[in-house]
Amino acid sequence: MEGSSYQRFPKVKIRELRDDYAKFELRDTDASMANALRRVMIAEVPTIAIDLVEIEVNSSVLNDEFIAHRLGLIPLTSERAMSMRFSRDCDACDGDGQCEFCSVEFHLRAKCHSDQTLDVTSKDLYSSDHTVVPVDFSDSAAASGEALDTKGIIIVKLRRGQELRLRAIARKGIGKDHAKWSPAATVTFMYEPNIHINEDLMETLTLEEKRTWVESCPTRVFELDPVTHQVMVVDPEAYTYDDEVIKKAEAMGKAGLVDITAKEDSFIFTVESTGAIKASQLILNAIDILKQKLDAVRLSDDTVEADDQFGELGAHMRGG
Amino acid sequence: MAADDDHSRMTGDNEKKPVTHDPESKEPRISGEMRAAANDCNDQWRWQASSCRNDSNKQAVDKFQLLPEFLKGRGLVKQHLDSFNYFVNTEIKKIVKANDRIESNTDPSIYLRFLDVRIGEPSVTVNAVSETINPHMCRLSDLTYAAPILVDIEYIEESHAQKAPREKKDVVIGRMPIMLRSHRCVLHGKDEAELARLGECPLDPGGYFIIKGTEKVVLIQEQLSKNRIIIDTDKKGNINASVTSSTEATKSKTVIKMENEKIYLQLNIFTTPKIPIMVVLKAMGMESIQEVVQMVGRDPRYGALLLPSIEECAKEKIYTQEQALEYLETKVKKFQFASAPPEKEGRALGILRDVFLANVPVYKNNFRPKCIYVAVMMRRMMDAILNKDAMDDKDYVGNKRLELSGQLISLLFEDLFKTMVSEVKKTIDKLLGKHSRSSRFDFSQHLNSNIISFGLERTLSTGNWDVKRFRMHRKGMSQVLARLSFISTMGHVTRVSPQFEKSRKVSGPRALQPSQWGMLCPCDTPEGEACGLVKNLALMTHVTTDQEEGPLISLCYCLGVEDLELLSAEELHTPNSFLVIFNGRILGKHRRPQYFATGMRMLRRAGKIGEFVSVFVNEKQHCVYIASDGGRVCRPLVIADKGVSRIKECHMKELSDGVRTFDDFLQDGLIEYLDVNEENNALIALYEGEATPETTHIEIEPFTILGVVAGLIPYPHHNQSPRNTYQCAMGKQAMGNIAYNQLRRMDTLLYLLVYPQRPLLTTRTIELVGYDKLGAGQNATVAVMSYSGYDIEDAIVMNKSSLDRGFGRCIVFKKYSSVNQKYENNTADRIVRPNRNEDFAGNMQILDDDGLAAPGEIIRPNDVYVNKQSPIITKGSPLPGIPDSAYRPCRQIFKGSEGEPTVVDRVALSTDKNDCLCIKFLIRQTRRPELGDKFSSRHGQKGVCGTIVQQEDFPFSERGICPDLIMNPHGFPSRMTVGKMIELLGGKAGVSCGRFHYGSAFGEPSGHADKVDAISETLINRGFSYNGKDFLYSGITGCPLQAYIFMGPIYYQKLKHMVLDKMHARGSGPRVMLTRQPTEGRARNGGLRVGEMERDCLIAYGASMLIYERLMISSDPFEVQVCRVCGLLGYYNHKLKTGICSSCKNGDNISTMKLPYACKLLIQELQSMNIVPRLKLAEA
Repeated sequence: MEGSSYQRFPKVKIRELRDDYAKFELRDTDASMANALRRVMIAEVPTIAIDLVEIEVNSSVLNDEFIAHRLGLIPLTSERAMSMRFSRDCDACDGDGQCEFCSVEFHLRAKCHSDQTLDVTSKDLYSSDHTVVPVDFSDSAAASGEALDTKGIIIVKLRRGQELRLRAIARKGIGKDHAKWSPAATVTFMYEPNIHINEDLMETLTLEEKRTWVESCPTRVFELDPVTHQVMVVDPEAYTYDDEVIKKAEAMGKAGLVDITAKEDSFIFTVESTGAIKASQLILNAIDILKQKLDAVRLSDDTVEADDQFGELGAHMRGG
Repeated sequence: MAADDDHSRMTGDNEKKPVTHDPESKEPRISGEMRAAANDCNDQWRWQASSCRNDSNKQAVDKFQLLPEFLKGRGLVKQHLDSFNYFVNTEIKKIVKANDRIESNTDPSIYLRFLDVRIGEPSVTVNAVSETINPHMCRLSDLTYAAPILVDIEYIEESHAQKAPREKKDVVIGRMPIMLRSHRCVLHGKDEAELARLGECPLDPGGYFIIKGTEKVVLIQEQLSKNRIIIDTDKKGNINASVTSSTEATKSKTVIKMENEKIYLQLNIFTTPKIPIMVVLKAMGMESIQEVVQMVGRDPRYGALLLPSIEECAKEKIYTQEQALEYLETKVKKFQFASAPPEKEGRALGILRDVFLANVPVYKNNFRPKCIYVAVMMRRMMDAILNKDAMDDKDYVGNKRLELSGQLISLLFEDLFKTMVSEVKKTIDKLLGKHSRSSRFDFSQHLNSNIISFGLERTLSTGNWDVKRFRMHRKGMSQVLARLSFISTMGHVTRVSPQFEKSRKVSGPRALQPSQWGMLCPCDTPEGEACGLVKNLALMTHVTTDQEEGPLISLCYCLGVEDLELLSAEELHTPNSFLVIFNGRILGKHRRPQYFATGMRMLRRAGKIGEFVSVFVNEKQHCVYIASDGGRVCRPLVIADKGVSRIKECHMKELSDGVRTFDDFLQDGLIEYLDVNEENNALIALYEGEATPETTHIEIEPFTILGVVAGLIPYPHHNQSPRNTYQCAMGKQAMGNIAYNQLRRMDTLLYLLVYPQRPLLTTRTIELVGYDKLGAGQNATVAVMSYSGYDIEDAIVMNKSSLDRGFGRCIVFKKYSSVNQKYENNTADRIVRPNRNEDFAGNMQILDDDGLAAPGEIIRPNDVYVNKQSPIITKGSPLPGIPDSAYRPCRQIFKGSEGEPTVVDRVALSTDKNDCLCIKFLIRQTRRPELGDKFSSRHGQKGVCGTIVQQEDFPFSERGICPDLIMNPHGFPSRMTVGKMIELLGGKAGVSCGRFHYGSAFGEPSGHADKVDAISETLINRGFSYNGKDFLYSGITGCPLQAYIFMGPIYYQKLKHMVLDKMHARGSGPRVMLTRQPTEGRARNGGLRVGEMERDCLIAYGASMLIYERLMISSDPFEVQVCRVCGLLGYYNHKLKTGICSSCKNGDNISTMKLPYACKLLIQELQSMNIVPRLKLAEA
């Protein structure tokens, strides 16, 4: 193995891409890489979320902390987040919402004058920065043909005479500190399954046996061709590694009817975003941050010192 | 098919004989109206049998809808309300009527008579103006929710020696605390909107009182039946028959016992506990021994048992009634002060008439009923001697009576009313005794209303029932209503507390009684010393109230009961006749008991007599027991004719259409109430399908055997039984919602959940009670796996992101109050505007200009929340105006701990009973779960939070599901909580298909619990594995986990025990004045004790310097001067800079040494007791 490099060149193939959803394949790498990407997407891609709330008037039924907590969890559009500063690192200000580099100010004023309950929603939040606003789902709702009157995220309901007036400051942060800064609703991956049907053995089954075998799988992985009566793999990714079909085959006395292994170097990612940033951007940002983190390791003094010990690996880390 | 055939044959039978009584029975011999009634109901039955015949072949009818209907009509605390209503409407009138005349001893023509009594509207009198009040007002301003007791009186007014009768209406003689939701309560019959307007929660059960602003429940008291014969053994193993008699006039206990083969009477009023029973019988006129033997029964075995007693009586040479009475006279306890004039007939006869078996009335000195009663007692006792099976079980629920608040308050009221009457009598006697009376005498002026008002209020608020008149001293009868969670409130009002002391180590009363089936919850009992003694009512239990006896007695005679008076002693126990015993009184005998019982039951089902009258034929004792007294537990059951349920599909349809109510079911004779005794005459089928031709009744729903609290547990019938008991205790500690008005209340301590949820896996009880509206927990996605090692010993691992998003977040409210005291010199505390320039201003930032903390401000330790000032001089004569300088600051300082920020939530001003200004502050804290907070599922599986882990480190499935918490699988094998696993499965199926699943107890056959098969089917349809296990990836490495993980939602409760309230550590700090040792307890910032065992460990280890340091240096070191000559303690003279021995009067031989201050104290205390400890010092 002299001279061989550990370096591999992962490939990405995008299968599906929407604003808040992405599905892609990641090939030619291993679980550590895939998992690092997943972890960064959940915990380290920065977004902007409300962090400080100053309440002027609150005569609603919910108390101040309650409302502040709810405000914090509202996703804000955070395309700008990557270029912003953390308020703790911002030298220009003290993080009071005035500084354009690290914070955004919001105002909310609502009072119920009618006998009907007034819903205070995320749409009532007025931002000082038009690029950072509460996420608007009405477009996607309209696109999918749902009710058009999606009014945003309800913060509190007011009855006649109740009032809510507050100033909120949103700051940049990461999911590691608080889940409200996590841009990811769901990030998950699976190993791509490798399904191999033993055709010879399969032919020994009767049609009825084939049918029961196909139906034993809780997800629709296999299908019986109505014409040729052959069992086909239609959707290998629907397989949940539940071993049901293998157990079924064993129960039928046909062990080895199907052979399912996970491809060790191929992953199918599903990414759903909260709407703070686009799913595609989330992935790109995650890769950027992962690179930065690796750079930090590579450039640190410890690494240079350790270079002698690790030899080739050290060189590899330095981009050799 | 065979079963089907059977079924049709059964219905065939039914067609032929729609009336269910015995084929040979003829029309009952009853007269007039009763006959009409009986015919009526026969007709009705015939009609039902024909109209519903077509349905009877169908499958079992779903009777569940009866339950909501039942609970809608009565709520869960009907027993309390019924009992209180009965008192207010009936009992109070009886009490007043029984003592309606106050007469002057000096002039009997001056009198006052109570004509009528009633309870008015709840109100409060402020400055002589009566204002109506509502319960929530009382809670907030510490008032008593009470209504005036109004009487109409007739009295004599005397002015200038002229007497004129007068009448007055609506005179107030006191204030009666009103039970919430009773007839007299303003909340009675109000709908949800009206309740909301009154600040009341519609789900609140009521059944409690509000005394001085605190909610008080009078617990249901369990005691042995009154006026019933109980056969038992005493400590020596002797068999005895005892009766605790209780009538309006007297209360006594009579025991007849067998000792050394002779029968004796034991009655407290006699000096010896052994009065030969034959003497007593003779004293009551039973001079003929033959008659006695006949009365007991002619069986030679009884005679043999009686013989020694007869011989003893003969030995005493007592043959006649006079001799017997003389004998008894010598045994009567002498009163210490013989004030009563000696009665002509002698005290003995009086005692026999009034005290001995007081429940058997004696008319015109006819002692025969009493003699027969004694004979019956002896016969039962002898039965027990001959055959041990005839012993009574004291723990049998049928021998128990539950005493409810109405009865208890009526006792109290009776006592207070009598006290008031005697007080009034005393004052007017004193007044009329004066010779020179000039002013007009108005009797009505002397009615004192305070005795009753204060007496009731005091007793209810302390819970100590001290009624001397009835020799009653009971403590802890009323308790502050537990408002920790909605369910704890429900559990509290249905609690049954025992009468005897809890410390006794007997297992009998603690054991689960088979007879408590359906009446008392088998699960809900506390652990520890009260285990098995404190019980809870089951869901459908009803506790009866007293019912008019007169009509029932005459009805019995109508139905062929032969009066005792007409029977000779010989006829009493003829083989085929049964004695008829009504509420413990022997009415007579009946020759066809079954026929008689069927007749009574028919009338009850027809609604002609009260639905709670019980008829019980005791074959063994040859008795028919009829009971209409209060305190019996009973429950509704569906009546079946030869195994065919009377409730058909058509009835249930009418019910769901709203044209039929639960009462209609009762009136139409489809359902009836059975008490524990009558259940013995019934054969009750659990399900309609299991009914056989012998079946007489069918259960409505099996899960009603559980109570409210146990009803929350899903699939409890799959759990190990103690787990359900543990959950019953923990469900009461869970945080969640308390009531709809929870944010308008001012409780001293209030725990709320920020985002409470409704359980995904519900039960029918949950919906019936309203737990789905006022839940106390959250549905957490739980993965059952081992993770990180911080999950041993039931600890759970929590997902940090879940906590960020609000899981387990809770709000804690605490109340602080401050009173502006008034002083005798007309001065009072005052609250002043804070001086913003003062040194102290830093701690007064949260104060408004009115000197009170502003709501919404964050309050920190040492902050002032009331800027109060007190006058320096508070005693002496009133001062007119006093300057500012006469006040000293008396600021109220907040002493909370650092940690979560604390906020002033609300400030309320009110006046207390002394008319002082009372300010209440509600302080709020929002807490997120932290390490060590306690959580529990609904299966008695509690655990603390062991560690909090980032979401990215948590395992995840390929669908992206990530658990909220991880539970160690070791929690399952030893606990055997299979119900929890089914809950997980059902919850998972529930979320994936969008339907709440059910897990009611024993619900699988009747469809009130989803079966595991069906759940698995749903899971498979939704692409999950049928066994609830998922394929998970490690969040740390990204590799698949080696095993499939059992994962799904389980309803988790956050319990009130939180680390923040318990955490404690200290370095140096406060010390106790006396011993100079560190204080004890967290509240006083106390030290952590190195106790005996810790000390032993250190000694064993040899760490002497550590002991020295802990026990002396860090505790109470003290330097003393010791005289080497006399060995006594001296003192240090600062002028001479030397130690001096005060006994030797010099400082020559003084040594300075260190010893614990406690030791020095001991030495001095011993000296003060003339013991001289001397220290002998040696060089070290």
